[in-house]
Amino acid sequence: MKKDILALSVIILIIAVIINGTNIQSVDEYYLTHIDDITENSETVFISIRCDTILDNLENLDESLRYDEYVPKDGVILPRTEYVLREGDTVFDILDRAVRYNRIQMEYQGSDQNSFGSVYIRGINYLYEFSCGELSGWMYKVDGEYPNYGCSKYKLKDGQEIEWVYTCDLGNDVGAKWLGGQGK
Amino acid sequence: MKNYNPFVLMFYFLAVVIISAFSENPVLQISALLGGILFCAIVTKSSETAGNIGFYVPMFFIIAVTNPLFSHNGATPLFFLNGNPVTLEAFVYGGAIAVMAIGVMLWCKCYSEIMTTDKFLYIFGKTVPKLSLVLSMALKFIPMYKQQTRRVSRAQKAMGLYSSKSVTDKIRSHARVFMAMVSWSLENSIETSSSMKARGYGLKGRTNFALFKFGADDLILLAVIVILLGVTVFGIITGETRFYYYPRISTLKFSAAYIAFGFFSLLPFIIEAKEAIKWRYYVSKI
Repeated sequence: MKKDILALSVIILIIAVIINGTNIQSVDEYYLTHIDDITENSETVFISIRCDTILDNLENLDESLRYDEYVPKDGVILPRTEYVLREGDTVFDILDRAVRYNRIQMEYQGSDQNSFGSVYIRGINYLYEFSCGELSGWMYKVDGEYPNYGCSKYKLKDGQEIEWVYTCDLGNDVGAKWLGGQGK
Repeated sequence: MKNYNPFVLMFYFLAVVIISAFSENPVLQISALLGGILFCAIVTKSSETAGNIGFYVPMFFIIAVTNPLFSHNGATPLFFLNGNPVTLEAFVYGGAIAVMAIGVMLWCKCYSEIMTTDKFLYIFGKTVPKLSLVLSMALKFIPMYKQQTRRVSRAQKAMGLYSSKSVTDKIRSHARVFMAMVSWSLENSIETSSSMKARGYGLKGRTNFALFKFGADDLILLAVIVILLGVTVFGIITGETRFYYYPRISTLKFSAAYIAFGFFSLLPFIIEAKEAIKWRYYVSKI
């Protein structure tokens, strides 16, 4: 019986660790409605989310996504908006705050779950990687440049401009040059 | 059902399993599951029913609950887990996967009851002898394994294992039996293949004898199968049965394929039930 108690306590310990590591939020908690007000001395950045490239490749898009609510007619999911930059904010922090405030769906892979050591954005507004052909997915640029690393590693400075764009051709159609694209 | 020609039966089983495994449509999947349950209820012994329910019902819930933990797509978030949504659509899709998986498992169970090794070898023994031997060995592997496990653990019990009431000790005894089983099964498969070789299996000029005929009954069944399958496949190809779970669960459109596939998956049950009624009727006349 001693062995049983030992085994049981190990199992309970594992479950406790797992539960401790999970953070469960209700829908209202997740979509926070309050956001920092922009004052004169606050540092700010701009963010926009667009999916124009899908409009040119509609034939590749999953049939279940061919509605205006998923792919807006003008390709703009989030127009250029100004947000307050907090100390140490990365591109991911701003995106996370922006989609929560605007109630836009987003799914990401945590930095502990992949080999890049950075958060990977799998889908925004139900548009996922591979939703529009096998070379499609989300990319980001800061001040017009594509950094060649993950969005939770990019620390932002005052006045910078983030653009999240959906590519259907591994970055070539949105001008990412470091992947060998020509840039349009 | 057992008395039909193996070719017809094989065709039927393949068609059911392939359609239910690759269709995402809930109506097709549920009718395949229902057909599988009814067929299984007739084919298997009633003493096994409780054990089967105890296995498949928890299995259903495990599969259904696993999906939402890993798939966060879907328009209706219920709550958020570490910043990612757990959605209603993911739960529904998990349920659909579970229906599909358990349906396919039940059909495979029925398959192994109906399509015995001799039937399988009758179909493929001449054309692809090696592959068919390997497959027939693989298919009979699990029931054989179960039997042998029972034997080994009985022998172990006689030697005084399993006497402790502690759960940990029990698990360790099971692990011991399992290890014995692994080496036994490897040895057994080598023995089987060398014994088949010794009998000249797969050699040129070797003749086979089998008692299977292709009669009028088989022709009728084959015709019914082809017609029903044709209607179903037509519905699938034209996109009438197309169904999405993400991002929003799509609505069902009526299709003739549903009726056809409903009858298709209930065929074995109808045939068996007809036989049972006939039997009752004859017995009542004596």
